[in-house]
Amino acid sequence: MVEDSTSDVLRAPLTLEYPFTRTTGPVVGGFLTGLREGMVLGAKRADGTVMCPPLEYDPITSDAITELVEIGQSGTVTTWTWNGEPRKQQPFGQPFAWAMITLDGADTPMLHGVFVEGPDDMSTGMRVTVQWREEREGHIADIAGFVPEGQE
Amino acid sequence: MSKQRAAVIGVGQTKYASTRGDVSMAGLVREAAYRALEMAEKTWAEIDAVVIGKAPDFFEGVMMPEVYLAEALGCVGKPILRVHTAGSVGGSTACVATSLVQAGIHGTVLTLGFEKQSESNAMWALSLPSPFTTSINAGAGGYFSPIIRRYMAFSGAPELIGCMVALKDRQHALNNPYAHVRDKELTFDKVVESQMLWDPIRYSETCPSSDGACAMVLASEDVAEAHDGAVAWVHGTAMRSEANNYGGRNVVSPKASEDCAADVFAQAGITNPRKDIDAVEMYVPFSWYEPMWLESLGFAEVGEGWKMVESGATKFEGGDLPVNCSGGVLSSNPIGASGMIRFAEAALQVMGEAGDHQVDGAKKAFGHAYGGGAQYYAMWVVGSEKN
Repeated sequence: MVEDSTSDVLRAPLTLEYPFTRTTGPVVGGFLTGLREGMVLGAKRADGTVMCPPLEYDPITSDAITELVEIGQSGTVTTWTWNGEPRKQQPFGQPFAWAMITLDGADTPMLHGVFVEGPDDMSTGMRVTVQWREEREGHIADIAGFVPEGQE
Repeated sequence: MSKQRAAVIGVGQTKYASTRGDVSMAGLVREAAYRALEMAEKTWAEIDAVVIGKAPDFFEGVMMPEVYLAEALGCVGKPILRVHTAGSVGGSTACVATSLVQAGIHGTVLTLGFEKQSESNAMWALSLPSPFTTSINAGAGGYFSPIIRRYMAFSGAPELIGCMVALKDRQHALNNPYAHVRDKELTFDKVVESQMLWDPIRYSETCPSSDGACAMVLASEDVAEAHDGAVAWVHGTAMRSEANNYGGRNVVSPKASEDCAADVFAQAGITNPRKDIDAVEMYVPFSWYEPMWLESLGFAEVGEGWKMVESGATKFEGGDLPVNCSGGVLSSNPIGASGMIRFAEAALQVMGEAGDHQVDGAKKAFGHAYGGGAQYYAMWVVGSEKN
């Protein structure tokens, strides 16, 4: 008979780790290669609008994306929230704003961090500019973050 | 329980290869899906629902492919479902997609299985430790080799039957442009001399690790009759499962395998499988599983399956029951797609669209998949005529 004593129920740690890889394909790979070169590329859709960051297939029509175009490195904050106490797993060590940023020439916003002193320096509609990482490798983190336009 | 008829009207496959570094997972599935739509003469807008399958999540580290792949598979504004049954998933996925048509819920369903083994390590994923059981850390080969030895012991099969199967399937692969392993120089002696990996399984008796995807378009009777191209009518589908960690099971011929075969043959009105079936696509990741499944599925008497192999009965050229004319899992193994490839290749045979590995005049074909510790089964019978 099994005794009803939960304190005797055994537990054991189980740590599973494996370094998976991801093949990016021509569209996302093209975007990441652009970042490495210090350019921001967007995906041009059949209706002429531009998605940045790009998706491989049109999210409405499912058409394959065949054209990447260079877009601006400054843009407009469309919405934001302040993160005053970043957790260590988050991408930025200092207090920052999570923001949706529509870059000039793009029709869809990108999620990234904006670095300012505090939430009083943030506003919807404000203009921000890419701050590049010095050593770039073809990764979204090649964009270190965004700063108010004119403060880069 | 009356079901509506369902048929395959399109099949699409990628070239199977160790690494498809030119495409993302989305690009890989898109390639197969697009080819299936082309054969079916359908547009994305004409697809009512999408049913996908892939190997267990640890195999690739993608937890929710059904979310990531929605736009690549044209399922914006439509239902997308994912099926999980380990290595048999490709077959189970096709069965679930078929059931949506048979139930009268959808008229045209896209189904697809895929795997990018190059981005992961199936051996690692199959050998995850558990804190409370002893891990042999030997992957699938280490799991199945003692079962094969058990088969060899009771059947009295000669030691090199597995090598005959391996050479046969690799030679069949030379007739299939999509096959991954296509080795014109392979000989029986080379198979025998290849490295012993998990006794009695040699290197050349085991499946490769492949990237690839396979898709089918399933259609209702109305849609299939309006289609100008070839059609494979589904005569029956069946799935079974059983407990894995139970010492009392018959591991050589699990009851779930026997029951699943009996069910699907009964649905298809097949009383003598060896005589009634013209082409078999069977899930054989390790060579010896061909004679073992021949017996378990009812194509051979118990203990006699190896004699069919030895006599050449399962060869494409000259055999009366050609098995794995595509080259089978032994020649291409994108795990999440491997079961669907069996089902799709069976369909191609009765559609007369199997190209250089077409069995002349094939009227009825059998597709088969198994998975897990040989505890999941999915099977179908397809025919050139309505049943």
